[in-house]
Amino acid sequence: MLNYIWAGLIIISLVFAVSQDVMDLVQDPYQNGKEHTIEVIFPENGDPDKRQTVRFRIQGHEGTFEAAWRPYEDNPEMIIQVDEEMPELWLSIAQDQDASNKEELLAEVVGFDRSARQASIVLPKVYYVKLNAIATAAFNMAEFAVTLAIGLVGIMALWLGLMKIAEKSGLMYLLVKAVQPFMRFLFPNVPKGHAAHGVISLNLAANMLGLGNAATPLGIKAMEELQKLNPSKDKATNAQCMLLTVNTASIQLLPPATLVALIGTGVNELMISILIVTFISLMVGITAAKIYERFHPEDDHDENIPDDQKIEA
Amino acid sequence: MRTIAAFILPLIIVLIPLYGILKKVAVYEVFVDGAKEGFTIAVRIIPYLVAILFAIGMFRESGAMEFFMMALAPVLGFLGFPVELVPMAIFRPLTGSGSVGVLAEMIATYGEDSLIVKMAGTMFGSTETTFYVIAVYFGAIGIRRVKYAVQTGLIADLAGIIASVIVVRILFG
Repeated sequence: MLNYIWAGLIIISLVFAVSQDVMDLVQDPYQNGKEHTIEVIFPENGDPDKRQTVRFRIQGHEGTFEAAWRPYEDNPEMIIQVDEEMPELWLSIAQDQDASNKEELLAEVVGFDRSARQASIVLPKVYYVKLNAIATAAFNMAEFAVTLAIGLVGIMALWLGLMKIAEKSGLMYLLVKAVQPFMRFLFPNVPKGHAAHGVISLNLAANMLGLGNAATPLGIKAMEELQKLNPSKDKATNAQCMLLTVNTASIQLLPPATLVALIGTGVNELMISILIVTFISLMVGITAAKIYERFHPEDDHDENIPDDQKIEA
Repeated sequence: MRTIAAFILPLIIVLIPLYGILKKVAVYEVFVDGAKEGFTIAVRIIPYLVAILFAIGMFRESGAMEFFMMALAPVLGFLGFPVELVPMAIFRPLTGSGSVGVLAEMIATYGEDSLIVKMAGTMFGSTETTFYVIAVYFGAIGIRRVKYAVQTGLIADLAGIIASVIVVRILFG
């Protein structure tokens, strides 16, 4: 599933980029190669054969703009400072051009009338914008992934350090008492006093505190306990399905470390919303599992368990 | 709400070591031991981040994201569900580390104080990588016929996704 979604993203990106670029080739929205007529305003006593900063006026457009005048043997060049007052076309060329500096436009002067100070210039040609853009995005994002991950280290370390203390000090035992009353309701087929109850309570408590390192082994242990009550060894029981549901939809008192590291101190607000949302999803999950149970009736597991497994939870 | 929120982080940071001391835990050593994992986990998720981030980055830059958002907007807008959250809703049940990438990309695009990121963050914190949990838990005991576990897990995820939008809108909207 994930494979298809992931590959789909990449393939669809390519399809979109190619079709957009082909459309650009046909419609020529950047008017590649078009000669724009401008009036160059040299400073007083300015010599067009010397390098200097000039201003210029675009024909049919308000305002004057700055450029560096570069006279070369054959054709002069102008390095134009991009200005927000420029025509839309010029701005989009500046934005989508190949050159990495989007603040400048390198224009070629193809015709220059010395007496009238009028010039025809050609702006950089823009081709394959989207194809370039997706390749750039892929490279930039790959780089961003590493800076991001390294940036997470500090807060992750802080949070995971705290969580280790919570785990070692047995903070989850405080929650076990809160969870236990619901055991009979959630797992009616598990006999009273069975070892599974204790492990499940611990697993749920660890889950609520977001102690992933503690919760997963406890969850597997709980599954093993429930498996001992399972008459068919490769088909899940209702109790196992319920355990899985309450694990995926556990109430979250503390958020995962990665979220803390990503959001920073703003996470304190999110803890409130997460608490409410997880409460809702837990209720929905349990209700759904209870409804499914009705369609998959099971006998009590009592007769399946040997006496030595009836340990006090 | 702001007053409650302001207390949460400081209390967690202070109370956990305090509780540890009371329970005679070598808090400093244990903290450092746990903190070491910060680096390991951050490095371990890099491949997942690269995979998801570059694919989503390409998707956004190609104009495909915009297209699908525009296509979905009338339907989801009618339901009051922000289109921007669709990538998170799709990736969250499938990959935990990958959805870190989705969230990071959203923070970079919309800013961490935006309502959309608060919704995505709540979604990220509230739902589980259901498929992974099923694989690990049932895999460990050799259960192959999982019955309705996938359905109930995904129903709970869906409830979490919808509730994230509503709750965040009520609390911070």
